[in-house]
Amino acid sequence: MRWEVFKQDTPKKAHQAVGSVHGADAEHALLNARHVFGRRPAAVSMWVVRADRIYSRTAEELAAESSAGADGTDTPPATGTGPRTYLVFRKSSHRRSMTFVEHVGEVEASHPRDALVSAMSRSADGEGLAWWVIEEGDVHRSDPDAAESWFEPALDKTYKQQSQYGTVAPGAGKRSAS
Amino acid sequence: MTPQTELDAQVSQALAYRLTAMGDDELLLGHRNSEWTGHGPVLEEDIALSNLAQDEIGHAVMWYGVRGELDGSDADDLAFRRDPAQFLSSTFVELPRGDWAFTMLRQFLFDCYEAESLPRLARSAHRPLADAAAKAQREELFHLRHTGLWVKRLGLGTDESHHRSVAALTAMWEAFGALLAPLPGDEQLVGAGVLPDWSTLPAAVFARVRAALAAADLDPGEDPVVPPLAQRNTVSEARTELLGTMQAVARADPEAVTW
Amino acid sequence: MSAVTDVQGTQDPSAEEKASSFEARIASGEKIEPGDWMPEEYRRQLIRMISQHAHSEIVGMLPEGAWITRAPSLRRKLVLIAKVQDEAGHGQYLYHAAETLGADRDELVDALLTGRAKYSSVFNYPTLTWADVGMIGWLVDGAAIRNQLMLAQCSYGPYSRAMVRICSEETFHHKQGKEMVIRYASGTPSQRRMVQDALDRWWWPSVMMLGPHDSDSPNTPQLMKWGIKTKTNDEVRQEFIDEHVPELQDAGLTVPDPDMRFDETTGHWVHGPIDWDEFWRVVKGGGPCNAERLAARNAAHDEGAWVREALEAYAAKHQRTESVVA
Repeated sequence: MRWEVFKQDTPKKAHQAVGSVHGADAEHALLNARHVFGRRPAAVSMWVVRADRIYSRTAEELAAESSAGADGTDTPPATGTGPRTYLVFRKSSHRRSMTFVEHVGEVEASHPRDALVSAMSRSADGEGLAWWVIEEGDVHRSDPDAAESWFEPALDKTYKQQSQYGTVAPGAGKRSAS
Repeated sequence: MTPQTELDAQVSQALAYRLTAMGDDELLLGHRNSEWTGHGPVLEEDIALSNLAQDEIGHAVMWYGVRGELDGSDADDLAFRRDPAQFLSSTFVELPRGDWAFTMLRQFLFDCYEAESLPRLARSAHRPLADAAAKAQREELFHLRHTGLWVKRLGLGTDESHHRSVAALTAMWEAFGALLAPLPGDEQLVGAGVLPDWSTLPAAVFARVRAALAAADLDPGEDPVVPPLAQRNTVSEARTELLGTMQAVARADPEAVTW
Repeated sequence: MSAVTDVQGTQDPSAEEKASSFEARIASGEKIEPGDWMPEEYRRQLIRMISQHAHSEIVGMLPEGAWITRAPSLRRKLVLIAKVQDEAGHGQYLYHAAETLGADRDELVDALLTGRAKYSSVFNYPTLTWADVGMIGWLVDGAAIRNQLMLAQCSYGPYSRAMVRICSEETFHHKQGKEMVIRYASGTPSQRRMVQDALDRWWWPSVMMLGPHDSDSPNTPQLMKWGIKTKTNDEVRQEFIDEHVPELQDAGLTVPDPDMRFDETTGHWVHGPIDWDEFWRVVKGGGPCNAERLAARNAAHDEGAWVREALEAYAAKHQRTESVVA
């Protein structure tokens, strides 16, 4: 099973989508997420979500749907009826980056499509290039109290951080490390 | 520089011995785990075990470092230029890596041992040892999460994974008991407050292990015998094979000072 | 999502419109994300490129991985485990990017294991000495970085992001390799001989790693139009040579190309003829280690089958998800 991974670099930053891991269940996926994405700094928290539980739309898809009069099919089946909390993630820039969508807030709704519409109307600039909407119950989080053992040790592993390497070629004077 | 308790010569020697044994255990265990790099059953597991291997080797560097502060010894000299007969590793960590069940269960048992040894060492009267133990504890907490998950998956997964787990535990059980045996000089260290509550360690480790194995439907039978004194300089075939490989490049060029 | 199987010459006007708006998006620097419309050929080419790249990383773990157990210092041991681990990680990020295009990782891996998928032939050469590890870090990873920097600008979002992450980690590989080689090049006579020998064997495979000459690279023009490649193979190759030759010489080593010279007028290093027969032979599976590499990957896969089954079985039995407590 594939799980999308979200990493929070510091307490002040939002969780960002960094990639995915394979895992047989949520606990396994969280551990794998830490192994794959936590081996270098910085992280204070990670979330994993089953890839097939994500309601995803790009700006282009939304435009095509609205002109076709579609209402957004291929929605993950909701767990039960009635309003629930959805987490909303958004990509806002085409700028080169190693992360995709970022957590921008929560919305109460009965359906991910409604949650998306609500989130879009709320965002001041309306500039969303891509959106993910995820039901709260589908988000599995690392334990905040475990951050010390899960994420901090990576800070000490300087032998694999490129900033720790400088090279001097003999006879040529100091060369800038490439 | 962190203030150190003034150690008398005998205690210092006993501590150097213990630190070497601890460093050797971590190094050889990390080495065995690193043999899986590129050969793991799932890509994510390959990455995971490489993390554990780096952590253990990092701990070896730490223990050798604390010894180095005592007697000026060099960690690379200890690791690469001692003969097998001079190593103080336990058979438990020397055993070949076996199959995935063997590797995961051996790591789990070692993690249970460290879950009891490190908190005690973190209260050591010898400050550098206490500081190192506190650092290692952070990583070991995470290791226990990881290997604890595997004990459950292996014990409760399929008939095959269960049988392999039983076989693995059988193969390592006696060596596990020997891992916990007191080292020559431990009595002095206990007296000097360097090894607090050390006598309660084996029972605490076994209680932990038994509870976790039971939850995975694994029953290893009687607790393993803990010999009254460890025989760490026994040269097993496994140790010879492991060190022969590990030291091959370093010792091929005796002139080489740095690698 | 409608599939446009042939961008040129289709009778369907809306397909042509789609194709040109697609190209306009790319030209304006927009990233194509999963869910966006894309020509079927774009998807196909990307899956091919990305999966080949992923397979290369995974197979690439083996030549250096073999030396982990013999690394001659504690630091080198840690560094090499971390480096080879990174290669697994890079494969992981790339398989993810391919998955966003609808590929299945198990199917991609199966294609690799059964010899149907290609991977970079540079990993079909043997690592004969410890110094090879340093040389691979400096040259092979040096060549890879050039390629990766270019691909980080790629139009497909997930591939671009994987490449940015890979670039941030690859620099460490390059630097630690360079550090090793420079140290041994001014070390004991035995170390100096070992590292020159490593250069003699790894120089040409690294040069060829950047791909066939432009004239023999039929995919390149379309890939450049789609913003997947932004430079040609020969352009990247020239960058690689210009960077590495002076540094290798400064380290006291001799590049095994008797025709290599510096051209004052262009400011570039000019290399001798490349033996492309050797390249194609190795690409097609005739390299010294092709069979060995695939056998090792197959063995790992087969021996791991019972482990994967145990994971699935446990997950199935415990499906009522207790809320996960980390």
